[in-house]
Amino acid sequence: MTPESAAASLEQRLERLDAIVTALEREGVELDDALALFEEGIAHLRAAEQTIRTAELRMERLLEGADGQPDTEPMEPPAP
Amino acid sequence: MQDLFSESLPEPPARGREATDQPLSDPRPSRRSAREAGRREPAPPPSLFDAPLSEPPGPHRDSVQAPLPEPAPPAGSLFDGPLPEPPAPADSLFEGPLPEPPGDLRGRGRAAAVASARPPALGSTRARGAAAAGFTYTVSLLNSMVRELLDGCPAVWVSGEVTGWKRHSSGHCYFSLRDAGAQVKCVMFRTEAQRLPAEPGEGMEVRALGRVTLFERRGDFQLVVSELEGSGRGGLWRVAFDRLHAKLTAEGLLAPQRKRPLPLFPRAVGVITSDTGAVLHDIRHVIERRAPWTRLVFRAARVQGEGAAAEVARAIAAFGRSAAAVGVDVLIVGRGGGSKDDLWAFNDEALARAIAACPVPVISAVGHETDVTIADLIADYRAPTPSAAAEAAVPDGRALERRLQDGRARMERALRRGVRCAREDAERAGAALEECMEALLRRRRERLGHVAARLDALSPLSALRRGYAVPLSPEGRVLRRTTEFHSAAGFRLRVVDGTVPCRVDGTPQVEPVPPTPGGT
Repeated sequence: MTPESAAASLEQRLERLDAIVTALEREGVELDDALALFEEGIAHLRAAEQTIRTAELRMERLLEGADGQPDTEPMEPPAP
Repeated sequence: MQDLFSESLPEPPARGREATDQPLSDPRPSRRSAREAGRREPAPPPSLFDAPLSEPPGPHRDSVQAPLPEPAPPAGSLFDGPLPEPPAPADSLFEGPLPEPPGDLRGRGRAAAVASARPPALGSTRARGAAAAGFTYTVSLLNSMVRELLDGCPAVWVSGEVTGWKRHSSGHCYFSLRDAGAQVKCVMFRTEAQRLPAEPGEGMEVRALGRVTLFERRGDFQLVVSELEGSGRGGLWRVAFDRLHAKLTAEGLLAPQRKRPLPLFPRAVGVITSDTGAVLHDIRHVIERRAPWTRLVFRAARVQGEGAAAEVARAIAAFGRSAAAVGVDVLIVGRGGGSKDDLWAFNDEALARAIAACPVPVISAVGHETDVTIADLIADYRAPTPSAAAEAAVPDGRALERRLQDGRARMERALRRGVRCAREDAERAGAALEECMEALLRRRRERLGHVAARLDALSPLSALRRGYAVPLSPEGRVLRRTTEFHSAAGFRLRVVDGTVPCRVDGTPQVEPVPPTPGGT
């Protein structure tokens, strides 16, 4: 997963997880379907936890190239 | 000339008065006016000419340090400056700045000029003597000397009401300050006027810091103002704020429905603040703690001082152009705490419009809880501090983890319930099956009973019960025909409840047997 999409994928995972929980809590889900949903939900959950716990904040400086194209360069964290 | 100064000095302090009063033949008129003025201002203000010795204007120092001849008057007063017989011309207060002596003086003979080429300084005892001696000043010289005299005065604060404010195309501003009894012409040059948050309105009460001087060409006494403060609540800042506020409100730019919701999961957070200072550090710290999967994209801009507003506005515009490409979904414009005057950049119109035009939501963190700025009002979200801005910009990872745990618990609960339901379904189905089986068996059993009854009806036992008997040989064979009975052997007769031993007694009699399909 690229860092660019970390936030977006985290958001998608959380949304999907919510949908899964809602679906599972609905009456009359077939056991086969429920098991499949559960597995998918746990996978999203683990991935989301991984993102939250292990990500490291990236700092960049906004630049504008000579052609006016936006760009960024990595930046050292500021001294406290 | 004495009156010129005593008019404006209600109560000249002793030292100044001493120097001027003593030689005067009749100081009464001026002192009377001084007393009148003094009634309006109970506390006597310091003399304009009593500059503190620690920081006297240039010419002053010269006059103070000059070796003083015989009737040495107290030092420090301008009036001491032009000495009756200056030991060296360079020490004269007025010598340096005078561009050139007027022509009529220049024409005189050198010997005659030694004492009189230098015009008697105004306010000096010699000037009084000069009048008696018939010395004539030109207007230029007079004005020039008065100006010199006034230029020696330190800057003073003057309060009054503004009238006739005019901004010249050069950028210089001209106006007058007045109170009930007097007015003074004022000029504020471009550099200083540019720093004004707003131009004061007609009649506005202000306080001006300025130096008195004379505009020689017209002979106008005027105040060169370097600072101007509205003395009402908030002063000129308030005026400027209110004007811009009304303008932006009229354009609908401050309407609440214009506020955009902040994104829940910004890909990157843009930050505009100064390169130095704790603001960036604070914001980074909060984002790192809460949402380390986010990116922080920084652009430095000075946030106070001259040009700060334009720099911040440019930075906002730069983010606006690059937001999509760089993935910045929300922008924080931050500033640490500071004095209220430092906030002015955030009341700038161009900056306000840059925020309004920004394609992504803007959070203001101007760091002044009590004073709301235009930037705060036009931003999509106002945070009291940079840290609070960062908290508003990104979700809290720990809360998300709790949400994940909650999701896990709910999924597990739902699944357990699903399994339990399935088991109950299976059990129910099993029970139903059992019931079915039992019913089936019961039916079978019942049918069996019927069959058994029918079989029973056909059984030989029932024939025996009805009274029939069956003869059996000693070996147990059924004896069906007369020929099978032998008198010697005997036989048994099977009746319903047992057998009876029998013997043949006599000769068997044969009778014809009707044929049967079974042959028995």
